[in-house]
Amino acid sequence: MSETEKFDAIIIGAGPAGIACAYTLAKAGKEVLVIERADNPGGKNLTGGRLYTYALEMLEEGLSEEAALERKVTHEQIMILSEGRGTTIDYFDSGFSPYEGPPQSYTVLRARFDEWLAGKAEEVGANIVCGIRVDDVIEEAGKIKGIIAGDDEIYSDIVIAADGVNSFIAQRAGLIPDIPASSVGVGVKEIIQLDTSVIEERFHLQDGEGAARMILGCTEGLHGGGFLYTNIDTISLGLVLMPEEVAAAGKPVAELFQEFKNHPAIYPLIAGGSTVEYGAHLVSEDGYHGLPKKLYREGLLLVGDAAGFVINSGYSIRGIDLAILSGIAAANGICASSDIAKAGPQYIKEMEKLNLLPTLKAASGYRDLLNIPRIYSNYPYLANDFLGNLFTVNGEVAAPMKKSLKALLKKHNISFWQLFKDGLRGYRAL
Amino acid sequence: MARIVACYKWVIDESDIKVNPDLSINLQNSKGKISDYDKNAIEAAVNAAELLEGKPVGLTFGNSKCKASLKDALSRGLEEAYFINSEKADKADGRVTAAALATAIQEMGEVDLVVCAEGASDTYARQTAPRLGACLDLPVISSVNSFTIEGKTLTAIRKLDDCLETVKVELPAIIAVLPEINHPPIPGLKAVMNAGKKKMVEFAEADLKVDLNPKNQVLDLQAYVMERKNIVFADGELTEQVKNLVIALKKEGVI
Amino acid sequence: MSDIYIYSERLDIAAELIGFARQNHKEPYVVTFSAVAAEELANLGANKVFYLKGESPLVENYAKQISKFLKEQAASHFMVGATARGRDLAARVAGYMDCGMASDLSGLTYVDDELICERIIYGGAVRQKEAFKDFCVVTVPGGLFEPVQGDCEIFTIDLKADERVVLVERTEIPSRGNDLPTASKVVCVGLGLAEEEDLSLVNGLVDVLEGEIACTRGIAEERHWLPVERYIGISGAVIKPELYIALGVSGQIQHVYGIRESKIIVAIDKNDKAPIFRYADYGIVGDMYEIIPLLTDLLN
Ligand SMILES: Cc1cc2nc3c(=O)[nH]c(=O)nc-3n(C[C@H](O)[C@H](O)[C@H](O)COP(=O)(O)OP(=O)(O)OC[C@H]3O[C@@H](n4cnc5c(N)ncnc54)[C@H](O)[C@@H]3O)c2cc1C
Ligand SMILES: Cc1cc2nc3c(=O)[nH]c(=O)nc-3n(C[C@H](O)[C@H](O)[C@H](O)COP(=O)(O)OP(=O)(O)OC[C@H]3O[C@@H](n4cnc5c(N)ncnc54)[C@H](O)[C@@H]3O)c2cc1C
Ligand SMILES: Nc1ncnc2c1ncn2[C@@H]1O[C@H](COP(=O)(O)O)[C@@H](O)[C@H]1O
Repeated sequence: MSETEKFDAIIIGAGPAGIACAYTLAKAGKEVLVIERADNPGGKNLTGGRLYTYALEMLEEGLSEEAALERKVTHEQIMILSEGRGTTIDYFDSGFSPYEGPPQSYTVLRARFDEWLAGKAEEVGANIVCGIRVDDVIEEAGKIKGIIAGDDEIYSDIVIAADGVNSFIAQRAGLIPDIPASSVGVGVKEIIQLDTSVIEERFHLQDGEGAARMILGCTEGLHGGGFLYTNIDTISLGLVLMPEEVAAAGKPVAELFQEFKNHPAIYPLIAGGSTVEYGAHLVSEDGYHGLPKKLYREGLLLVGDAAGFVINSGYSIRGIDLAILSGIAAANGICASSDIAKAGPQYIKEMEKLNLLPTLKAASGYRDLLNIPRIYSNYPYLANDFLGNLFTVNGEVAAPMKKSLKALLKKHNISFWQLFKDGLRGYRAL
Repeated sequence: MARIVACYKWVIDESDIKVNPDLSINLQNSKGKISDYDKNAIEAAVNAAELLEGKPVGLTFGNSKCKASLKDALSRGLEEAYFINSEKADKADGRVTAAALATAIQEMGEVDLVVCAEGASDTYARQTAPRLGACLDLPVISSVNSFTIEGKTLTAIRKLDDCLETVKVELPAIIAVLPEINHPPIPGLKAVMNAGKKKMVEFAEADLKVDLNPKNQVLDLQAYVMERKNIVFADGELTEQVKNLVIALKKEGVI
Repeated sequence: MSDIYIYSERLDIAAELIGFARQNHKEPYVVTFSAVAAEELANLGANKVFYLKGESPLVENYAKQISKFLKEQAASHFMVGATARGRDLAARVAGYMDCGMASDLSGLTYVDDELICERIIYGGAVRQKEAFKDFCVVTVPGGLFEPVQGDCEIFTIDLKADERVVLVERTEIPSRGNDLPTASKVVCVGLGLAEEEDLSLVNGLVDVLEGEIACTRGIAEERHWLPVERYIGISGAVIKPELYIALGVSGQIQHVYGIRESKIIVAIDKNDKAPIFRYADYGIVGDMYEIIPLLTDLLN
């Protein structure tokens, strides 16, 4: 391609959304350029740690078999913490790891995964340039015509903003407001290195199997939760919190995280490990309710986190699979449009085909559930107290269960009416 | 056209080195990078090429992973990249490195100037440029802080421990540059895009016909660790913390 | 395998290397390019001093001839003081001899006539031990060995230089009064310092401590706010004070290399993840601009 020629598509961001889009376009013979600001794809990216394989299979059948993934998740766990106590529910399902067809989900480390996926896209002809930040889009007569990075301008028929949550490009293009939505959480995470055998022993895992754990009650009552994923020889441990709430509580995130790590039910899981990576990243909390009114303009499409495609269901955050699907949809939309710049409406249709928008819509109730403040402290503490009473044997005559539950509700400031209402809200959300 | 060769080394990023409990080191998850000061060498070669109206090219000797460095090097203004691909590079000492580079330089044909950095950021051996001079029987100027070129005469200012020296040489020659010589810019988008289209030449170990076995025998690699108290004063207001620090230092008897 | 040939621009290192040879029952021979130095070196316990006489003021230019001379003498090792010029000469000699070489050693011993060299790599993170069986060249910094005494004869040898590199001018860098190497208290500023003027704030602390000011590489080499002799690290000064206080220093390995022997290390940095806290005895996470005045006041 000469200096004056232009690309069919320029993709901003080499996360899963951008790369999935580049892969599909390049395979269809389009000239694509991906621009990533980190020195390597995945270099600056942070995720909790799980990828659902169906999305990779949709990108290309068989891809999940060779993907740079960690452990197949066979243990789904929920952990409820209160001071000095913890309850863990461990759901084991060997069906999540079938002998035929890919396992349902894997734990994943983004630095490895993104680099691998980018390599696949390069193999089919995508141009990927790293270490360059896109500063702006070129707009001419109301249409997006290309991008600006430093002193360089490059033109393309369409620009795809795959630059993640609070997309700067979507802001520049006026598709999302400049002031970031208040409902953006911040995730902090450490990757802790441990021997493979130690991890398998501590989490009761067979070779290659993994656990995905959501943790409640570890945020001192603040809106949020924790997560833990077992990788091959590391553990991903993190917290997701709302920045304003943290600020109001006056305790730095780092301190909350330190206390979380030192919780007597968490510490033994990571003891002896060394932190090999630490990072923080924003996560959009609004799901379907938070989607921008328009996901495209002439010459521009939003995909992945940039479009707000995240499902936060309280027991897990899902965004990578949705990012991949939206990347594929954008590419298909472009390929199906005779005027590439006007691929927007076709992109939306493709997303319907891939069930992306319906999936998001179906999960839209979670936000209400997660807005119940009681699920971050009262309920977890209540659950542990209840179980604590259940398992306490100290020679005294035990109070009847009914009575003890009532006392506990009182202690935790919860009325039966509230319990009923919250339960109903939870039921509706599901 | 004059040819200027920038030698650069693809090294392990020292911040990725992990220490095992027995103090052995784990380089498994470490990434590679162009040795920091070699970016200065590349920039110096590009500048020299402007002065000589010649062509700046890169040369590196490394294992197969080092291939990833070629685009990066080319995005920094070099016009061609030469890569000696050999797993023996991992165990290379100064002798092997200089011998490999020298042979490749001879393969390239006429060369007017070879630019190295004073030392590579992994071993910081500071041997390569002077040794290359011996291999190629070319004059060498080390510790170069700045230089100018007029015709075929290169005048350099060297910064040594206790003096500044101005020296002169007729090209062809070899120089080893200090990091202060320039501030290499971060490559822009078009430079990075164009890098992939430039000429890359690979030499296989067999092409070179040199003995790539080191003279030294590495006995042991061990992490250099420091035992320290690691006490961070975090309780109370800042004044309180500073007070606690002073109390601790008094107790230690250092103030 | 017992004749060690020694050259050092710095005579104190030459003296120490002679001491090393004697201590290991080897035969030390010294080469020098200066008649004055030859006189001094003749009292330091060597077997012989060779005064190499030639036209060029650049000792590197004799490398090829020296390698010939070493071959003729059947030297078993060539040990060179690790100054900038010494390293250059040593590496060229190694090049002409096509032999092994180890630079800037942190340790050197003989085990069964094999030379065992220790050096620091990866910016200070790793110690490497390597052995040489045959003739090799090493460069050695000062302070590793004890010098000895004893007289010997001086032999003058005429040597032809490689005249391709010509000296035009040489200006000494005046050494400014610098007590950093021996100071017992050192306050070090890093790139956390926002403005050159703010050095006065730091100097206030230095004064009440009666210490010396030091800095990281960037402050000296890039910003030029302090002279280069003031920067600490693998390519700068290595110090051993009783107390070392780092202000806005992230603690990269290359810098930390220079402070490892300090008795007490204090870190003040606003980033709680800065590596310097791993290398520190005491630390405060916070803004140095708030902490320095508090600390200065308290110490006053
Ligand atoms: C704490 C946390 C836990 C999570 N856990 C999970 C999980 O377990 N499973 C799951 O499926 N999802 C999870 N998610 C969500 C998931 O990480 C995201 O939805 C997903 O990464 C979105 O992919 P993307 O490609 O849209 O954006 P990103 O992965 O954010 O990629 C955007 C890319 O664009 C680049 N970029 C940004 N701006 C520019 C610019 N101006 N110029 C050039 N490049 C630019 C960035 O460097 C980045 O590489 C989690 C998120 C967080 C924060
Ligand atoms: C081969 C090689 C050799 C090198 N040799 C040396 C050497 O000998 N000596 C040397 O020093 N370096 C050396 N370096 C460079 C070294 O790697 C680091 O880049 C350098 O030491 C960093 O200097 P710094 O800590 O001042 O700066 P930075 O790494 O930029 O750190 C600045 C710190 O200041 C903190 N800070 C900022 N503002 C404030 C505030 N208001 N209050 C408190 N804290 C604040 C920041 O949090 C940060 O931690 C070498 C590098 C290479 C590659
Ligand atoms: N493997 C290599 N490939 C190319 N150049 C090298 C290599 N090793 C060293 N050099 C060059 O020689 C300089 C000094 O290296 P060293 O002598 O190892 O400290 C480096 O900064 C490079 O310019």
